[in-house]
Amino acid sequence: MTAEEQFNKVNEGDVITGRPFTVTRETIQAFADASLDYNPLHFDDNYMKNKFGKTSFEGVIMHGMQNFALITRTLTDWLIPRGGFHRRLETRWLKPVQLGHTITPVVTLQSKKRTEKGYWLLFDVEVNNQDGMLVAMGNAMAEFIDVIPGKR
Amino acid sequence: MTILDLDNFETDFWKDVDKRATWDQIIPGELRDTTPVTLTQEVIARYAKGVGEDNPLYFDEEYAKSTIYGGIIAPPSIHILLMFACTTTEDWMRSPGTINAGQNWSYHVPIRPGDTITMRGTALDRFIRKDRLFAVHENTFTNQHGEVVCTGRGQTIRPA
Repeated sequence: MTAEEQFNKVNEGDVITGRPFTVTRETIQAFADASLDYNPLHFDDNYMKNKFGKTSFEGVIMHGMQNFALITRTLTDWLIPRGGFHRRLETRWLKPVQLGHTITPVVTLQSKKRTEKGYWLLFDVEVNNQDGMLVAMGNAMAEFIDVIPGKR
Repeated sequence: MTILDLDNFETDFWKDVDKRATWDQIIPGELRDTTPVTLTQEVIARYAKGVGEDNPLYFDEEYAKSTIYGGIIAPPSIHILLMFACTTTEDWMRSPGTINAGQNWSYHVPIRPGDTITMRGTALDRFIRKDRLFAVHENTFTNQHGEVVCTGRGQTIRPA
């Protein structure tokens, strides 16, 4: 299928719900080992009793970039089978995510945009916790392309 | 070239803490000290597994060859690992208490096994808002062909 045909097959308003993710000490360790981010914010209960400038936390927190990786996976799980190429992700972390919390990314295909040489998709991103509270938001872009950049 | 060795990474982020730039010492425009790293298929597979990326595109060469990608690639989010892999223990992004406030990343050429990735990292800006110390950083990763893999910006709240 050409990029144009693939572009024509997706619809504005499509909603992609990611896999729910529950934070445990094991998931934090696994993410640290994958990302090499061993900041004590994610491990040290005593350290987390401190105040961080004006911010304080109730115990260790999940890596912000864990959220970024989960949103990325939600996008690419949907895009790759449809021939879409992940181009951009912008995120803002609104609330810390703590042990025992379950978060779920929800991505909405907000609009399709035809440019002079491209077939683009624009997404809205929200991540909610188990109480329906918004913990992160953002937006993303993908493109339908006929050749993967840099492919040899 | 240095093959990225995940098993001998310094996991104690308190080590060298006194050698790292504090917020006051972060100079917007100044480059961070970085070293290129080579990513093996094993490193890519371990990263994918660690972040729950189970698409065979990231670890099954036979399958990956049958796709438009023509072979294994790394998950796009692998820059999360590269930021720490390419910097030293004296890099301020390791400072305990560094809080991530948000990021935006753009993706171009996918990383493939055997690629050597170079990081260019800089602080773009620093400011104080609502009594919090912010730094804005920008990281660009390129491959051995000089092609841009991805580039991104982020904001962190710095330890006071």
